[in-house]
Amino acid sequence: MEQEKPLGQQESIQLITEMIQKVKHHFHESGTSAILWGSVVGIAGLVNFVELYWKFYIGFDIWLLVLAAVIPQVFITIRENRTRKIITYTEAAINAIWLVYGISIFLLVFYFNTVPAATDKLLSQHGVILLRRNSDGTIDAFRYFIPSHGSLLLLLFGIPTMATGIAHKFRIMVWSAILCYIFFLISCFTSNVYDMLLCGLAGIFNWLIPGLVLRKKYMRQKALSV
Amino acid sequence: MSLLISVKEAEFTFLKEKTNSTAGNLSVQIQKLKESGYIDVIKQFKDNYPQTICKITKQGINAFEEYVKNLQTYLDKT
Repeated sequence: MEQEKPLGQQESIQLITEMIQKVKHHFHESGTSAILWGSVVGIAGLVNFVELYWKFYIGFDIWLLVLAAVIPQVFITIRENRTRKIITYTEAAINAIWLVYGISIFLLVFYFNTVPAATDKLLSQHGVILLRRNSDGTIDAFRYFIPSHGSLLLLLFGIPTMATGIAHKFRIMVWSAILCYIFFLISCFTSNVYDMLLCGLAGIFNWLIPGLVLRKKYMRQKALSV
Repeated sequence: MSLLISVKEAEFTFLKEKTNSTAGNLSVQIQKLKESGYIDVIKQFKDNYPQTICKITKQGINAFEEYVKNLQTYLDKT
């Protein structure tokens, strides 16, 4: 075995800088996932535009292609994890963001599919039916997409909470975010009145309680370092 | 340690490539760092091949920061 050569101070600093630069310049993002999703969403969007503009239907919902793309994405992720030699902190944080983005898109699609029917049900419970008067004088029942603002707020609340919880491995925030998503699912079926209650509860569980836990840890650490 | 401070985790082959060390030398260094509690070493199998993953510990980060601070103090004085 080679004898260890002691390093001088300048040499040490130089070596440390050189090693950090080597990691920075080690490029391992293949771009495969971006190409997959860019192609799929691009095709789906353009085909849907063509269908709507020229008023025809290709026979199936083109956006199902996006759902199908999850399968190759799983294989890409498995293959890339096998060949990956390092995981940087930035990558880990960005992976958390993309994961949360995926969850949010899935929940948003759920929102688009459930809110109209849930709104109809809530309105009819109050004896309200939406009608539309057409230009030819006829009147028919009309389903108007009334956005559930509370639900959208809850979906947004969950995004930074879950991303922070995963990136920092702060379990309380991960569980808070899961609770927030459960509140979101409930809010798709409840009226605005209860949505506000759910938003309030989300604020308490997402941020107030984790904030108090962080404050306790911070004060404990501060007391130890005095 | 400089390599490990920049990443969440790194494979043995990556460390060997970037440090231009031999496998034997690097193994000895890794063992010393592990015994000092500065790194965690995870040995697992990937596609039937043994894989060694190294992660710096909190103790390792503190020790490295202390070392760099001392170096900077010394260099500021000279």
